[in-house]
Amino acid sequence: MGEVGDPTTAATADPVTERALTALRAALPDAVVEAQLDGAHPYIGVRATHLRAVCRLLRDDPALQYECCHLISAVDWPEPAEGEARIDVVYHLVSYAIRPDASYRTRPGKNDPYLALKVAVPRACPEVPTVMDIWIGADWHERETWDLMGVRFTGRKELPRILLPEDWPGHPLRKDWVYPASYHGVPIIPPEGM
Amino acid sequence: MHVDTRSPSMIPGESLLDPELQQSVILTKVQWVKDWGRRHALWPMAFGLACCAMEMMATAATKYDLDRFGAGVFRASPRQSDLMIVAGTLSHKMAPRLRRLWEQMPDPKYVIAMGACVIGGGPYSKFGYHVVQGVDLIVPVDIYLPGCPPRPEALIDAIRKLQFRIQERSGETLPETADETSAA
Repeated sequence: MGEVGDPTTAATADPVTERALTALRAALPDAVVEAQLDGAHPYIGVRATHLRAVCRLLRDDPALQYECCHLISAVDWPEPAEGEARIDVVYHLVSYAIRPDASYRTRPGKNDPYLALKVAVPRACPEVPTVMDIWIGADWHERETWDLMGVRFTGRKELPRILLPEDWPGHPLRKDWVYPASYHGVPIIPPEGM
Repeated sequence: MHVDTRSPSMIPGESLLDPELQQSVILTKVQWVKDWGRRHALWPMAFGLACCAMEMMATAATKYDLDRFGAGVFRASPRQSDLMIVAGTLSHKMAPRLRRLWEQMPDPKYVIAMGACVIGGGPYSKFGYHVVQGVDLIVPVDIYLPGCPPRPEALIDAIRKLQFRIQERSGETLPETADETSAA
């Protein structure tokens, strides 16, 4: 058993996250692939084709009001236990209107108040529709996810890199990324074994 | 090599003057006066890359008062500076900009590599693909100052060492660059 405040003690589902899943299943029955609401990090898996409709519903429903896209990241699965090689794009949403006390991992015995949306896309062609027009703050997160993980966000005017220079080779947080020997004549010494 | 950095008139046994005249006349060399002025009027460039820059600012502020050593006039333009303190983590994206700033500084110019990151990559030397593993791959470095970050006292020590080195190199001609040769 964990200590007080340990996220592993959180077993029950958060009521707002439950409400979100119920609303999604009612309005967009095809969108939800999987859902796990108990445990430390609840998430809802949705289809990439339905992502924009899901996001709009979560933001505009007066009982949910997920008005903040807190974070976008991605997980690289080149050799998953089952299925094709894929990349999971993860959206962390938070509703400050419903949850004014939302703070990460600080509520003992309660669940993570952040809602995570997982979108699985094939690794060979990772494309996800943009949510920049739904949450303007998603702009930089999408650019970062493109820069470091190579996930293309479609429907945007442009998708420049945000951290690395434009001519940087590849996307360095991919698990099979190879260190270049040098960049513009400046040597890059890779760590041992890579 | 030990080099006496005092003015020739201050070195015992080398004075050519009558002891009475020494009260009112200083005998020295033009090169010595030039170096003396140069080393006590280092103008660093206001240029910080990461957390080492905080220590550099603290060194220039009231408590440590870098102006005591004549090196506290931080300039906002490379064209007015003769000392570049590379303070912080140098990424591959920043490296061409740093080289360009260094090329804009007029000769003679000096570089202090401040902190572990610009000496050899520091904490990023193993997995930080984006960090240049030593600023000496980009520009020539005069003084290496270790620390993560170095304390203000250490930066003052580095600047003092640079000042002594400027006097030690007194009279050295600067290596001519290809541009200057072709222009002549």
